[in-house]
Amino acid sequence: MHGLCGEPGSVRFPGFVLRDRSLRFRLLSRFLPLRWRRLIWVSLALLITTATLLFGSYVRAQQPVTISFLLRAVEADQMQGLAEQFMAENPDIRIEMVRGPNAADAVENLYTTSFLLGDSPYDILFSDVVWIPKFAAAGWLQDLSDRVSEADLADFLEADVAAGQYKDGFYRMPFRSDMGMLYYRTDLLDQVGIAPPQTFSELISASEAIQDQTDVDWGFVWQGLQYEGLVTNFVEIVAGYGGFWIDPDTLEVGLDQPAAIQATEFMKGAIAQGISPPGVTNYVEEDSLRQFENGNAAFLRNWPYAWAEANGDDSPVAGNIALKPMVHAEGEQPAACLGGWGFGISANTAHPEEAWRVVEFFTSPGPMKDFVTEFAYVPSRRALFTDPEVLAKFPHYKQLLEVADTAVPRPPVGQYAQVSDILQRYLSAAITDQMTPEAAMQAAAGESRRVLGVES
Amino acid sequence: MTRDYIRERQQRTGWLLVTPALLLLLLVYAFPILRAFWLSFFTENLSTSLEPVFSGLDNYGRMAQDGRFWQSMRNTAVFTVFTLIFELLLGLIIALSLDQAFRGRGWVRTIAILPWALPTALIALAWRWIFNTEFGVWNDLLLRLQIISNPVNWLGTPDWAMVAVIGADVWKTTSFVAILLLAGLQSISQDLYEAHAIDGASPWQSFRQITLPLIAPQIVIAMLFRFAQAFGIFDLIQVMTGGGPGGATEMVSIYIYAAVMRYLDFGYGAALVTVTFLVLIAVVGITWLYLSRLRAKTE
Repeated sequence: MHGLCGEPGSVRFPGFVLRDRSLRFRLLSRFLPLRWRRLIWVSLALLITTATLLFGSYVRAQQPVTISFLLRAVEADQMQGLAEQFMAENPDIRIEMVRGPNAADAVENLYTTSFLLGDSPYDILFSDVVWIPKFAAAGWLQDLSDRVSEADLADFLEADVAAGQYKDGFYRMPFRSDMGMLYYRTDLLDQVGIAPPQTFSELISASEAIQDQTDVDWGFVWQGLQYEGLVTNFVEIVAGYGGFWIDPDTLEVGLDQPAAIQATEFMKGAIAQGISPPGVTNYVEEDSLRQFENGNAAFLRNWPYAWAEANGDDSPVAGNIALKPMVHAEGEQPAACLGGWGFGISANTAHPEEAWRVVEFFTSPGPMKDFVTEFAYVPSRRALFTDPEVLAKFPHYKQLLEVADTAVPRPPVGQYAQVSDILQRYLSAAITDQMTPEAAMQAAAGESRRVLGVES
Repeated sequence: MTRDYIRERQQRTGWLLVTPALLLLLLVYAFPILRAFWLSFFTENLSTSLEPVFSGLDNYGRMAQDGRFWQSMRNTAVFTVFTLIFELLLGLIIALSLDQAFRGRGWVRTIAILPWALPTALIALAWRWIFNTEFGVWNDLLLRLQIISNPVNWLGTPDWAMVAVIGADVWKTTSFVAILLLAGLQSISQDLYEAHAIDGASPWQSFRQITLPLIAPQIVIAMLFRFAQAFGIFDLIQVMTGGGPGGATEMVSIYIYAAVMRYLDFGYGAALVTVTFLVLIAVVGITWLYLSRLRAKTE
């Protein structure tokens, strides 16, 4: 009998009966004594109300539970097929995908507003990796630790699982992954007789050789505009120098340590030495991809989607490109910045069980495979990288797995948005010559420590 | 005794009648302001699990060291000063021309108010396209006139981005200033000018000695309105540049929005709001003092 007092029927029906009395019951009641009339009227009203309530809850019980979440409209279109499949298999659940704006940060703002109000209309959070710490720290997500075992998570990419963790909880089931890597032109490297670079210095010398000996203008293109993409570039380079940005366990900030300063110097140096075009400080993914695609650059740092674009029919470099993990310093390991999307469950949903079934369905191997093969996304499950059907369509996923295994998440701290903004500002200042790398990183470290509440 | 009694009763009735309005004002103005002020002494953010923890003047101390706060304050000041200057000058010119009798003056007056009447977010979107590097009309125009030889990245270069947002705001709100000044101009009697001309004054002298002093109150009112709006500018910037590049056009309101909505740093956001509010109050207070002194002088 849930929701008895909140039932719309209990409010609406007495009014209805009142109206009815004045019209229809007047004739009938004229033949009865006054006391009787009233008694009959009252019991009739009670009867009707009870009947409607009972009928209402019966209908309700038969009606499917609605599980709703918000996502970018393009993605809602792509995920519609899976949602319909789920609803056909589970008639007791209806998935409602609310189509949001196509800008991810606008979607984040919409989620934030709805959670701030305390009574979110969304049962599920479809989330970018970097939102999770903030939403978990705010207490807006359910801990999923009890629902999944380590064995369940063993098939997922390690970094993808790590990105769903905040403090002792687990808040996000990975759905599709994303990671940064180095694309290179095989024909140009053959021409100058150099093997694909492994280290930063090899990348620089290979670029110089190609710029000298061929008519290609630029060596290395990447993303240098002041935005989240700049931070993802930095995360890979700083890890390649053996450094770190923020240690999530101790909240130690590593920006003023030598590795981070070297990373910044590398980015700035690439422009200063003419390896990267000066305009790279204004580049987002598309700008750098366009340079690479048009044959103006030998190396490109980008996400997996660039493969299909650069190998498209109208691309002049199609068939002459390859990908590999990012370059690193001598004696260090390569790193790929992790991106991607997954599911969390809202802390105040009335239907956590049903929401979990939806999440479980989307992140299970079958649907994930259908989704990534149809829309050329990167799966979060390792097995799918080597799945014969996936490989038949995307042969390069074999190399992609090598990259995926080097993936590192951005620091899962609650104040991520803030520390990212700080890093963006100072990195941008450093690579546009407004500050020296050392001064910029020291200032960024100081401000980050203040935000994180750790003493310097 | 009797007279006092009546007055008392009248006063009581007066208070009674005013109370609902006062309560409403208290609810919608005083309460949020005091609440923000109170909250600014607490740390309420993700590190406290969104629970308020009393922290005294910590937020204000942090603000003093926060480079981004000072940069946004400086940006807001630059934006406010330049938009006010240009809007006053252009507004005055437009008002003076609209004050002249010519055919179709009614139409021109109506059209002149149009930019002000259009929604800001829409206008900002239009200006963003106008200033687009590759497809923008502005670059196209300058290239055709051979003023520039290469497309300029207007919204992507710190100083030019500031110029662009100031330009867009001036375009949009000059008409508001013009309409206010026009009202002032029309209240000036023509006799004054005639008498002044008979005394041998040049038009410039008439302008300086009659027009300007007599529309001074309107100028102050218009600037006061514009100051309050420019200081709190949000929509235009958010749509045109989002505060970029490199925070070069980030205004205090944009920073406050980020602190509260993106960082969920409510205590610090409240401190930012409080300081901004005090600056606004201070400027309005000074203007009010000036105005009342001006009035006292004319009387």
